[in-house]
Amino acid sequence: MDGSRPFWEKDVTVAVANVHMHYRVPSTRAAPGGRAAGVGRAVRKVVGSQPKVLVRALAGVSLAAYRGESIGIIGTNGSGKSTLLRVIAGLERPSRGEVVAETSPVLLGVNAALVPDLSGEQNVRLGCLAMGLSPERTEEVLPDVVDLAGIGDAVYLPMRTYSSGMGARLRFAIAAAANPRILLIDEALSTGDAAFKERSERRMDELRANAGTVFIVNHAAQVIEEMCTRAIWLDRGRVVLDGPAEETARRYRLWAWKVSKGEQDAADTLLKETIAESSPSSVKFAATAQRGSPVRHARRH
Amino acid sequence: MSGDGLPWQQVEVVHLQGLHPVGRRPGLREYVAQLWARRHFVVADSRARVASGTRQMILGNAWLVLKPVLDGLVYFAIFGLILKSGRGIDNFVGYLLIGVFMFQFTARCLSVGASSVSGGRTLIRSFLFPRAALPVAAVLRETLSMVPVVVSMLVLVVVVPPHAEVTWRWLLFPGVFTLQLVFNAGIALLAARLVARVRDLSNLIGFFTRFWLYGSGVFFSFDSFVSDPTVLAVVKLNPMYVVLDMTRDVLLYGRTPEAGSWVVLASWALGALLLGFVFFWRGEETYGRE
Repeated sequence: MDGSRPFWEKDVTVAVANVHMHYRVPSTRAAPGGRAAGVGRAVRKVVGSQPKVLVRALAGVSLAAYRGESIGIIGTNGSGKSTLLRVIAGLERPSRGEVVAETSPVLLGVNAALVPDLSGEQNVRLGCLAMGLSPERTEEVLPDVVDLAGIGDAVYLPMRTYSSGMGARLRFAIAAAANPRILLIDEALSTGDAAFKERSERRMDELRANAGTVFIVNHAAQVIEEMCTRAIWLDRGRVVLDGPAEETARRYRLWAWKVSKGEQDAADTLLKETIAESSPSSVKFAATAQRGSPVRHARRH
Repeated sequence: MSGDGLPWQQVEVVHLQGLHPVGRRPGLREYVAQLWARRHFVVADSRARVASGTRQMILGNAWLVLKPVLDGLVYFAIFGLILKSGRGIDNFVGYLLIGVFMFQFTARCLSVGASSVSGGRTLIRSFLFPRAALPVAAVLRETLSMVPVVVSMLVLVVVVPPHAEVTWRWLLFPGVFTLQLVFNAGIALLAARLVARVRDLSNLIGFFTRFWLYGSGVFFSFDSFVSDPTVLAVVKLNPMYVVLDMTRDVLLYGRTPEAGSWVVLASWALGALLLGFVFFWRGEETYGRE
């Protein structure tokens, strides 16, 4: 695609530079200072709102993804995995930092039905058109999508009648239909049965072979190990480790095992060591004009 | 940026050639182009949902027409028969029909436009498309639903005594209707961002619409109640008053609307669309937030 790029440089498809994401969300935890906030509390009681707290979902994440890579993102619940995907997809704007991509990434989310009152078939059409496919192309891919989803005649029923697994399968099929160069998958595959899992894996290999990049979020290290070439371990919104899938998954599993055994101290030590050893890289954007300047090209893998 | 790189960190330099920022609001011109590129999505979304609103009812789409007719009957009973607000109005039945049917169009566009972004959150969080597609689709949906309503309104106006005469001025009606539609699109975009930002406002919209209904001369004529010329002049700047007045002139009374009315309505329509569109576009990056 980019002929002027030196041959030793791999093509970057997505780059995330120092992204932070903060939310202000209501909290039910009693505010410290008790009585002092009497008036404020009275007002809150009338309005029925709760005190807001600042949640840092992402705290300075950087990464560069290359063509043909399949990147798994692992971490515990609430570590910022899904937020990172939504930011990469451009569905949410980060509080700080920037994301650039070669083409519009397509996110396959876990949220419920797209338009619950419409049938699965209508949702497929709507989804394809929303991703920017032409009406002709939509009609062309419709049989493939229905086939990949493999939910039988249920595709003609309103989506609100679907089980969560059926919904996830249909959404995966829709997202894959656009043949996106950058596909983001949020735990959708874990809901499918064995037959669907195999079919979807085959489809993902195809997508990757199309010189694309696939991101997969999952908290099961095994899934990441099986399906990805590279893995990123997130903890409390920060990158702990970014490297080959096997190594990262192994480390993560060791840590998770320690946590589950109640060895919190040992787990924390492992976490700190991993962060210190891996020295997560930061990403800088360079304008094309500065191409000739002697910059350090950090190589990965 | 240089402060972010700690001494032991690797720095990966990414050349921006061929890469585009993600999730950033594009320029206005680019935004319009993107919206145009998604026109098929807008049409599909509005058509798919036209019928789904009434699908679970026995009479289905007949409600599109029945509801305003029933509304009209209520107003006719109260204002026509009891309060006799129709005194001095030629063809009060036609006057009322046009008032109720056409006001309903704007009121519905406002309310569905307002809820389009908050109601379309699953689509917003699944696919990347210019978010203005949602309020625009909502207005288009209402316009499609309006087709049988307008047809039955025209039929009723002619059939119900005292029969309105069909003149060449009926040809002006599409013009008035188009201006009303443009105005509706503007206020729908405006309301969509406001309600997406402050959910409380959705409660105020119904309230505001009722106030607007009474201020637009839907079932009485201001000329017989208001004598102060300044108040009357202000009332006559109300875009909905102008829409209803012009529609009645054209369909009922065989009068050509004055040039002044056209100017007032066209300014409202274009002003609302421009303001609404720019206002909505400026909030483009905020709609995906929870």
